[in-house]
Amino acid sequence: MNDTVRQFRDFFVSLKLTVVLLALSLVLVFAATLDQVNLGVWAVQEKYFRSIFVLWPVGDIPVPVFPGGYLIGGFLLVNLVAAHLYRFQFTWRKTGIQLAHFGLILLLVGELLTGLWQEDYQMRLTEGESKNYSESYRRNELAIIETTDPKIDDVVAIPEALLARGDAIQQPPLPFRVVVKAYYPNAVLQLRSGTPGAAPSPATQGVGPKLVAIPVPLTYKQDEQNWPVAFVELVGAEGPIGTWLVSAQLAASQTVAYAGRTWRIGLRAERAYKPFALTLLKTRHDVYLGTDIPKNFSSRVRLTTPDGREDREVLIYMNNPLRYAGLTFYQYQMDSEHATSVLQVVRNPSWLIPYVSCALISFGLLFQFALHLAGFVTKRRGRAQTA
Amino acid sequence: MRFRFVVPLLASLALLAACREQKVTSYRVPREQPEPLPPILTGEVPSPAAGMAAMAGTPVTTATGAGLTWSAPAAWTAKPASAMRKGSYAVTSEGGAEADLSITAFPGDVGGELANLNRWRGQIQLPPLAEADLPAVTTRLSVNGLEFVVVDFDNPQAEKPQRILGASAAYDGATWFFKLMGPEAVVAQAKPAFLDFLKTVRAPAPAAQP
Repeated sequence: MNDTVRQFRDFFVSLKLTVVLLALSLVLVFAATLDQVNLGVWAVQEKYFRSIFVLWPVGDIPVPVFPGGYLIGGFLLVNLVAAHLYRFQFTWRKTGIQLAHFGLILLLVGELLTGLWQEDYQMRLTEGESKNYSESYRRNELAIIETTDPKIDDVVAIPEALLARGDAIQQPPLPFRVVVKAYYPNAVLQLRSGTPGAAPSPATQGVGPKLVAIPVPLTYKQDEQNWPVAFVELVGAEGPIGTWLVSAQLAASQTVAYAGRTWRIGLRAERAYKPFALTLLKTRHDVYLGTDIPKNFSSRVRLTTPDGREDREVLIYMNNPLRYAGLTFYQYQMDSEHATSVLQVVRNPSWLIPYVSCALISFGLLFQFALHLAGFVTKRRGRAQTA
Repeated sequence: MRFRFVVPLLASLALLAACREQKVTSYRVPREQPEPLPPILTGEVPSPAAGMAAMAGTPVTTATGAGLTWSAPAAWTAKPASAMRKGSYAVTSEGGAEADLSITAFPGDVGGELANLNRWRGQIQLPPLAEADLPAVTTRLSVNGLEFVVVDFDNPQAEKPQRILGASAAYDGATWFFKLMGPEAVVAQAKPAFLDFLKTVRAPAPAAQP
């Protein structure tokens, strides 16, 4: 075995590494808990736990300052597996310990897979409305939708993260480039007529010239939303076509006409299309008699597929979600006054792993304790008989 | 050094972390009905001087979360609050003329004090102020822990003379605006009641800890 391989092995099977990683994870959890006051739960998860490094912005450059959850968890996983492979000796007396450790490995893998695969979207429906897509809670996209064909929408969706970077984007089949002139992650829109003295708008087309975008600080509160605004210039082969103000508050409602074709343009919540549709038939909001305390929320929906194989009614209510095509639809919010229901749409292929790993850990520990107890009792009996 | 490979390993992981990126997608879906733009933006209704209030149909970011509370005089008629307004009242004079009291809140400082006051001035066709003019036209009022900036703008020369009696206060990362706007006589008559009303505005008591 050469020197480098031995170094790798010694590093990853070391118990000292386990202790250092556990200490680092303690610090990480502590720092993340404190930062939750500033960032809220979701942003803290992304920054501290679902990252390889915790990044700290120095000027415009994010600098890694501490190992993130993926790095610590990943190293712990490798450490655990390597130590087992290196020291593994199967004996009945250690079966429980091995099983408990295997459960722990599975738990770490499960969390990694959840972080990588889980999708968390929402579907907002008003009674009678059908949708075949869900929308992201936090991420937005610039949608440029060709509407030249009266029956079809050809959509090009540019993630907000790319707008924030400010790169020029050329994406077939668009016959023009998208150049981001300005981007505000959160801004308030006001009518220009009511804002005298505001700086001239970079927008030349659509409703942009009538509006003023005032940047406001990002909000991380659970019950608030950021409304990004961008000024995007479309540049064709002959030169600039115009600059549009796009905002998640205006949806994809402004039109672009170029070279005999037409598009709609706008920022909207990022969409995930499904091969089936849900139609909201009826919402129900029951309260305890004589009070305003909610007793039950439920949504009766109709699930249909274009090929007609599925066409059935489903009742979704608290603790009784609809599971279909790898997705789970939970009853999330309800506005019974406007007959509107919001379903939380979750895809988590690894949802069973934590249950299995907890069962393995429990069984392993029970087995180990039982083995020790049996040994102890046998030894005691033996001593009593000799006495 | 015993584990000299650790530094390059961490550096390559840092590079990997920087490489997570999202991509542009294109796809085709059956025609969808676009959401309409608010009429005020499409020019289907004339843009009145009311400015922001006229955008009542526009989905505009308003401050959310626990808000301020107040007690309005019994003589004021409460109007339904909208997506834009936290509170809305009709203030009527003895002669029956009506002024509008709006209570709105927006995240951040919404452009700062000067921009906010100039927006109100613009609504009654008054020229914008300079920063140096602020002390002369503003009154500071400290009420229940809130710091109000109170102004009284009047433009009798305007085509349709209007007066604005306004107050703004920062609370919980948002700016709250209390604006009484209407005919000069109505606003003048309601001024003492408006100032008394401001004294009833307060932040909610912190929730009891379990």
